[in-house]
Amino acid sequence: MRRVRIELAIGLALCALFLLISLAPALFAGPSDAVSVARRLEAPSAEFWFGTDETGRDVYARVIHGAGTTLGIVGVAIGLAGLIGGGLGVLAGFAGRWADLALSRMADALLAFPPIILGVILASTLGSGAGNLVLALAIIYVPVFYRVARAAALMESNRAYVEAARALGYGEAAILLRHVLRNVAPVVALQCVILFPLALQIQAALGFLGLGVPPPTPDWGASLQESRNYLTAAPWLALFPGAALLLAAVAASLLGRALQARHT
Amino acid sequence: MIEALLRRLGAALVTLVLATGVVFLVIRAVPGDIIGEMLGQSAGDPASEAALRAFFGLDRPLVTQYLTWAGDVLRGDLGTSMRQGLPVLGIVLDAFLVTLEIGLATLLVSILVGVPLGLAAGVRPGGVADMMVEGFTLLGLSAPVFWTGMVLLILADSWLGWSPPLIYTPPSVSLADNLEGIALPVLALGFLQAAAYAQFTRQQSAALMRQDFVRAARARGLPARVVYGRHLLRNIAIPLVTYAGLILVQILGGVVVVETLFGIPGLGRTLLAAIQGRDYPVLQGALLLTVVVALLVNLVIDLTYALIDPRVRGA
Amino acid sequence: MPLSTPRLTIDRRTALLAGAGLLGGGLALPARGQDGGAEAVYGPDDPQARRGGTLTVAIANEPPNLDPFHQAGDARTAITVLMYQGLMFEDASGVAKPLLAESMAVSDDGLTYTFTLRRGVRFHTGRTMTSADVKYSYDYVRNPANGSPGALDFGTIAEIGAPDDHTVVVRLSEPNASLPMTLTNRFGGVVPVDTFATPQARARLSQQSVGTGPFMLQEFRPQSHIRMARFPNYWRQGQPYLDGVLFSVQPNAASVLVALRSRRVDLALLARPQDAEQLQGQAGLNITSASSLRQCSLDLDGNHAQLKDPRVRQAIALAVDKDAVMQASISGKGKVLGTIPAAMQESWGAPISALPNQKPDMARAKALLAEAGLPDGFTMDLISIIGFEWMDPAGVTLAQQLAPLGIRLNIQRVELGVWLNAYRSRNMRFTFNDWGTQPDPHILYYRHFHSQPRGADFRNWNNAEGDRLLDAGMATADPARRKEIYVEFQKVVDASVPTVMLFSPDLVSVAQQRVRNYAQHPTGWWFGLAKAWIAA
Repeated sequence: MRRVRIELAIGLALCALFLLISLAPALFAGPSDAVSVARRLEAPSAEFWFGTDETGRDVYARVIHGAGTTLGIVGVAIGLAGLIGGGLGVLAGFAGRWADLALSRMADALLAFPPIILGVILASTLGSGAGNLVLALAIIYVPVFYRVARAAALMESNRAYVEAARALGYGEAAILLRHVLRNVAPVVALQCVILFPLALQIQAALGFLGLGVPPPTPDWGASLQESRNYLTAAPWLALFPGAALLLAAVAASLLGRALQARHT
Repeated sequence: MIEALLRRLGAALVTLVLATGVVFLVIRAVPGDIIGEMLGQSAGDPASEAALRAFFGLDRPLVTQYLTWAGDVLRGDLGTSMRQGLPVLGIVLDAFLVTLEIGLATLLVSILVGVPLGLAAGVRPGGVADMMVEGFTLLGLSAPVFWTGMVLLILADSWLGWSPPLIYTPPSVSLADNLEGIALPVLALGFLQAAAYAQFTRQQSAALMRQDFVRAARARGLPARVVYGRHLLRNIAIPLVTYAGLILVQILGGVVVVETLFGIPGLGRTLLAAIQGRDYPVLQGALLLTVVVALLVNLVIDLTYALIDPRVRGA
Repeated sequence: MPLSTPRLTIDRRTALLAGAGLLGGGLALPARGQDGGAEAVYGPDDPQARRGGTLTVAIANEPPNLDPFHQAGDARTAITVLMYQGLMFEDASGVAKPLLAESMAVSDDGLTYTFTLRRGVRFHTGRTMTSADVKYSYDYVRNPANGSPGALDFGTIAEIGAPDDHTVVVRLSEPNASLPMTLTNRFGGVVPVDTFATPQARARLSQQSVGTGPFMLQEFRPQSHIRMARFPNYWRQGQPYLDGVLFSVQPNAASVLVALRSRRVDLALLARPQDAEQLQGQAGLNITSASSLRQCSLDLDGNHAQLKDPRVRQAIALAVDKDAVMQASISGKGKVLGTIPAAMQESWGAPISALPNQKPDMARAKALLAEAGLPDGFTMDLISIIGFEWMDPAGVTLAQQLAPLGIRLNIQRVELGVWLNAYRSRNMRFTFNDWGTQPDPHILYYRHFHSQPRGADFRNWNNAEGDRLLDAGMATADPARRKEIYVEFQKVVDASVPTVMLFSPDLVSVAQQRVRNYAQHPTGWWFGLAKAWIAA
């Protein structure tokens, strides 16, 4: 249990740090879009900790400012997917046969696709931009949340207290709201944390394939895409945004593991 | 038992039909089609566009297009690539074999690395080995695979002065060239999957360690190695094998970006090219294969569990 | 078939002079040298050439297929020119030279072109080429029902006759001085009669070639490679020098560089000319740079929002500092353009100094915007295409340059398929573009800028004066007069701004030392491999 506590502490601290960077990047770095041809592709130095990119922009500043874009998109998408998927899951778990069957088959159909392929198709259809990326990621993860919430709702709905509430004459809606939501919500919330690192990787992969946010918005996946042309000539372009991705995913994973350990 | 199996099979079929329908519609919702790629910035008169549309059958109602396609699939004909004019079945199978090889190689690497790590960590939860393995799994599961691949490319170039070969060589032509070509992608994917294996094995073995018969065996004075060899491995072998199926499905779906990065002509790159080129038949064929493989693996896993676990058998 | 008598026949010397003397055009030219003038095409012969060996070429842009008639993409043409040949060759000088034709003659009225075919030309299928094959091929391309993107280029052809096995007579519905350039290698390849008669034709072209070119297709593996072997019955005795060519499809520009450095490839054309600096100082690599026929441009849709007003388009043109955009996009490794691609500037271009809207002039730009009733500017989407990397930095730079006018740009990235869809349906709005041409002003401008239905007018420009000049240019055979007309046309483009041609990226080819006698063609196509060889 000590380890769980340590992991939780580290996870929370890292998450808090990323949250702060995302919300107030100006505290950590100067502007991310100052172009200067004179200092292009400079290696990391005391002045530019992470070096400079093709157009002479400060990679450190791009990484810091990219946090808000990247993590924001993933965060909002996961939250949205949690709400929609969770809601539908509870509905299916409660409403019974036909709605359940129809929704479950749909969810299975979506889950049958590799998430990245689904992401590429959706991002191509919807077009570029942060909003559309959020939507694409949300659609990928709705069925996952749906399954988790449905299972939890099924379990809850068979519990004695729900049966008792029914017997006491509460209406279906009231039961749903009061009891089931209260018990399903934490499961969905936990799932949000668990899925965060996975969604982060999908977001980065889409950015890497050029389907992410358009320039000049800083974004980790987009930075990795730009870095490809200088993979061996200027490896810092790939290393630092990737390391930021890795660290953010580690933070979320730590938090997720610790929460999961507590939950069970 | 039979009834449960049939029910699962039925559900899988419904999923399959739905999934293919979804792909069919969604890919056609993406603006642009094969004709755009063919004509480029050389628009002709409307007659020639109409002629091309008719040639590819794109002028027919969507329902007709879908039913024709589905009917052909049932007869074993996946259609013809709009871009290359070649049979989709051949294109998709060629690509699938490449990806399957990478998937199996990755599986082998990740089992060879991940299982021992997981076992080492599981013997003494909280020990030094456990902490280190924990760190490994955390990094492995968190790093985007394509980024791991990029780092490997950088390291290979700067340390070894080595770069991957230009062309994927099938193992039947030259095993050495083949291995040279898939080494980096397999390592990149293997880092992730070895972490997954280590974590899974650790959980399984840690859970087993707490079980009475293991405790009893150790109390009888049997050394840890013997307990491991005799009980643990035997008991976690089956979950590990079924886990392999899941991982394989995950690899097959997840290689898209890695194949793109390393220029491997596998299923993922074929899928991506088909989406970008609006080659509907290839996209549908490739996704059909991906989905069928995923459903089959899941079915086999369920069956395995049903056979070994009497509780599931009754369900 | 009523045909006028051929009038004009120029000997090879005159044709070469026309090429050297800047202009040329559709006038004419034959060539009855020892080898029918063939030593002049594809670059020089090399008496020291050593036969044998396979040359490996890295390409980052893969052709969807190798069909010479049904693909507009440059990636396709770049490769199929080695397998399929037209009657003529698009010489870098801007003059079409005989290729499968041995000579060409034009009638007085400019309506009838008579081609005498080279003898002993064999197809990869083994058959000998006759005039019937030429007639079949060009009739196929120009028939809209066959859906070839080349149909519009062949639109002035009224009838093709094959009076005997070695003569092809092309009759036009109106004079078209660019006909010889049209019958070159983009859509003018000659294939055997009935090549497309069966439904399997398309599949076949992905598996074997049926042209007359120096190389024949051996294997095409999508997403991986294209392998070609020397055609043993090639009509040019002793050529090609190479036994084969292997095109390796590379996932991105960086892997091409790595492959060059580690000597896994012999030759590559850099998709990003600025990558040359990453190879500087690398022993054993020959890096050559040349002007190209490609143009990176900014297109303005005359039907789109504020762009409807020519004053707004002019203001934008006056605010753009092309050199700064080129610096940001390709580190300056190119040529800033006026109204024509770099490799045509000398032969066909209006002098940039004679064009009033090519130098940044903020004061005039602001005045024009104010005149248009937009003193405070406006907000507009600027479209860039995913995968065209120069567009990202160009967009950022352009946004900065237009900001002082109060024009706020939102960069939208769209996928190529989506972009092409909008483009062809003439709904291109305000977008970057990247396109190439054969070295002829009619082929360059007509389709893009002439109003419908004769042209495609993608930019909804609909300019009567422009139309008039384009029609005049097409009908005029005299090279000097022709140039005057196209210079006039460029002045109209400069004044009314349907497009801002930004820059031509240099064609940077990188070859290992052992690659000899490779001449880079300004189209960026692989013609040069027909005469390249590998030193021991």
